[in-house]
Amino acid sequence: MNFLRRILDSISIPVIAVLLGLLASSLFVLLANVSPIDTYQQLFCEGFGPRGCQTFGDLFIFQAPNEDDGTTTTVFSPLYGSGGSRLALILEQATPLILTALSATVAFQAGMFSIGMNGQFVMGAITVGFLGVWLPAQIYSLAGVADYESAPELLRTIMHLIVPLICIAAAMGVGAFYSWIPGYLKVRLNVNELISTIIFNAIAVQLVGYLVNFPLRSDQNNIARTARIDDTAWLIPFNRTVFADVEWFSGARVGVGLFIALIAAALVWFYLKRTTAGYEQRMTRGSSLFARFGGISTGKATLRAMLISGALSGLAGVIAILGVERRVVDGFNQTQTGFDGLLIAILAREAILGILIVAPIFAGLNLGAINLQFGDLPRQLGGIIISFIILFNAMEDWLRERLRGIFKPRPRPEAPEAKEVAAS
Amino acid sequence: MTTTVEMQHIRKYFDSSQVLACDDVSLSVAKGEVHAIVGENGTGKTTLMSILYGLVTPDSGQILIDGAPVRITHPNDAIRHGIGMVHQHFKLVPSFTIAENIMLGIEPNSAGFIDGKDEADGVRKLADSFGLPVNPDLRIREISVGMQQRVEILKILQRNAQVLILDEPTAVLTPQEVREFLNVVRRLAEGGRTILFITHKLAEVKAIADRVTTMRRGRNVGTHYANDQTIREMANLMVGRVVTLTVEKTPAKPAATVLEAHNLLVGGAGGMPAVFGASLDVRSGEILGIAGVSGNGQTELVEAIVGMRAVDGGQITLLGNDVTHALVRERRDAGLAHIPEDRMTTGLNLTTNLDENVVVTSYQNKPYSRSGIFDFAPVRKLAQEIVDKFAVKSARVGEPIKTLSGGNLQKIVLGRELKGDPKLIVANQPTRGLDVGSIEFVHKTLIEARDKGAAVLLVSVELDEILALSDRIAVMFAGKVVAVLDRAEATEEKLGLLMAGSSLEHAETASEKASA
Repeated sequence: MNFLRRILDSISIPVIAVLLGLLASSLFVLLANVSPIDTYQQLFCEGFGPRGCQTFGDLFIFQAPNEDDGTTTTVFSPLYGSGGSRLALILEQATPLILTALSATVAFQAGMFSIGMNGQFVMGAITVGFLGVWLPAQIYSLAGVADYESAPELLRTIMHLIVPLICIAAAMGVGAFYSWIPGYLKVRLNVNELISTIIFNAIAVQLVGYLVNFPLRSDQNNIARTARIDDTAWLIPFNRTVFADVEWFSGARVGVGLFIALIAAALVWFYLKRTTAGYEQRMTRGSSLFARFGGISTGKATLRAMLISGALSGLAGVIAILGVERRVVDGFNQTQTGFDGLLIAILAREAILGILIVAPIFAGLNLGAINLQFGDLPRQLGGIIISFIILFNAMEDWLRERLRGIFKPRPRPEAPEAKEVAAS
Repeated sequence: MTTTVEMQHIRKYFDSSQVLACDDVSLSVAKGEVHAIVGENGTGKTTLMSILYGLVTPDSGQILIDGAPVRITHPNDAIRHGIGMVHQHFKLVPSFTIAENIMLGIEPNSAGFIDGKDEADGVRKLADSFGLPVNPDLRIREISVGMQQRVEILKILQRNAQVLILDEPTAVLTPQEVREFLNVVRRLAEGGRTILFITHKLAEVKAIADRVTTMRRGRNVGTHYANDQTIREMANLMVGRVVTLTVEKTPAKPAATVLEAHNLLVGGAGGMPAVFGASLDVRSGEILGIAGVSGNGQTELVEAIVGMRAVDGGQITLLGNDVTHALVRERRDAGLAHIPEDRMTTGLNLTTNLDENVVVTSYQNKPYSRSGIFDFAPVRKLAQEIVDKFAVKSARVGEPIKTLSGGNLQKIVLGRELKGDPKLIVANQPTRGLDVGSIEFVHKTLIEARDKGAAVLLVSVELDEILALSDRIAVMFAGKVVAVLDRAEATEEKLGLLMAGSSLEHAETASEKASA
């Protein structure tokens, strides 16, 4: 009962924030002289519905057309996969978001308001964008294989086991190091982490832009890009492997990365709640004087948190490149995976389970907004909605106060009969 | 006696903490009286006053002013009805001058421009009319705590308050400042103002209050004339049982030296050395009290001994081992326990629950964790043990502690620190802000620990406490230990002179003269 109450208590505000966010955004839709209901219908259909989704109802029950005879069959939308389910696409998009959100959570829970996820993410991405090409090439040349396609099957199998692992380890290391620097600056020189991580984000984006445009540029394609990673470095999506025949997965590059993200989520939860190291960083956040008083080395706890946070963002970069993009394209991070993760962590109140719920919703809204731009409205609408949701979410105290007012009306002030107070 | 303020059947239940703070409380205050409200921590005194000042809305009950019912839902309502409140923690702008603080929000201005000189003159006139002289041009950060309190009082007088609510006004003051403050209260009452003040210190109640209302567990358990009650009667009424006000203890049986500090040099906040060649030693089975006016290096000395502040010179030895630069954890492992000055930010982490608070000093040890992974069953058991052994009211295993009262919070700190019979207990202001019942408990606990063989280093600015508990007394002045006296040879007078900077010889001759 208590547990249920707590859950209700923790989700009530985000749910209200979403509704208010949609309500407030509809003002902008009205400004464009479009019906908000139609717009949201389209937004949600494009984001969460099956192909051909037209109404809110289609999100749940859908009359799927039969190609052969023009008749329709009634299907349960989330399971309907013809043409590839958008829910699979959501999973693809949510995977790196989950990781950057975890990254933000670990930093926040050490009292570090680090917003360096974006920088760590692109650094991780460029690391595997390079290693995914270079490392297999080195191994092939060592093994004396000239034509990669004709490499012995055994060699390729072994490589397919170790190359991604090395890539993951390297990118996590790079991300961790890139996050450790602002942490060190904070602990040693008391440099505000917000400022240093903003600057480090900018540095990373410029550095990666340079690398993609010059040393690692692979061809004379209009938009600069690195070479495609070798197949042995590829985290092959489900739609090419185990679920090749399942149409639900056909349009999405979701793969083993999703499991990596889920395992990371479980590990981060365990780390924060069940280990002494997690305890140390949480106490450092709660009151650093208290932590030091108890014998906790607060500097160490902070640096450890920054290392873990950076490694998680780096891992997000790995999934984005090895699992989805397979190469780094100039400006590939315009989706701002790092910042989105930050927002997801805030919306989820830094709760791990909350992140796993919010990240797909976030991904779906993004998807819906991107597809919406083909309609009458710009895709910025998605940004407006998300911004409003965050704004309303930040009004937690005020909303709670209102909620209490609604559910528990104030007792009317009544005049009780006068009673003499002992004044002896 | 005409009644100015009457509160009838006030009830307030806090949903968030599930505490019934005020349970059908009625109170009537006469014009021009000094009315003290006493009670243990967490008995609803502050809630009741916050209701009167409009900070808290009661569930039921009503407030009458001069016989007419009024609705007070915001401090602005209260101010309009002539009610002002000085909070325990001052709400002043440190970088503003006294005049600017007093006039904040009601600045005399012409077309939006403030005339600073006008402001200062107004404040000077106000201050003189109440006999509370201040220099209006000084900035808040430059003046003493006692003076800041005077500014707070002037601030509400400027807003024409007839009823002044003072929440634990003397908790932050030095003994000299307390004397001055009590005079101010008397003068204000003689001038026709009504004073409602919350306190723990029954001696002050005796000294200035006309009537005293005692609260216990959210109820008014009686309003009496202060003259009709002895301090002991007040204390008993407050706690609901018979309290021992004097500390009973057997003579100390000091054994081996546990802590030795030699010629310590410790930096203070502004980079200036705060401790300047202080030396002392504490033996097993004794309580060494450090007396001194607040700000003479006691805090820095304690922080250096417990490892929370770097030592620039000198040596600290704990049980024969040099720990001058040892980590906090190393010192704790060697048997150090620390009851810090500020239990809200240092002693406890109010953002988390009871369990995580009690385990902070031992979480890395078995059985609470193994190879870095918690085992929560023993942690919960530890929390339950502390709650049971120290009778921590309304604290529950796994629940947040931020709503607990000061006395209960301090019990949690004591329970955690005294667990496992520490060799050295460093207690800095262990009873600050506590009520009679809790003070009695803390004192008894410290003496028990001493009798079990612990060395206790007690720092307090309350001379009574030092005299009551200590077996030897060290006096700190200007960062040095200027004298160490046996309890038998220490008198309040001699200590007072030493605390003010006199040499030991001078203090001795002066106090002999006085007694002769």
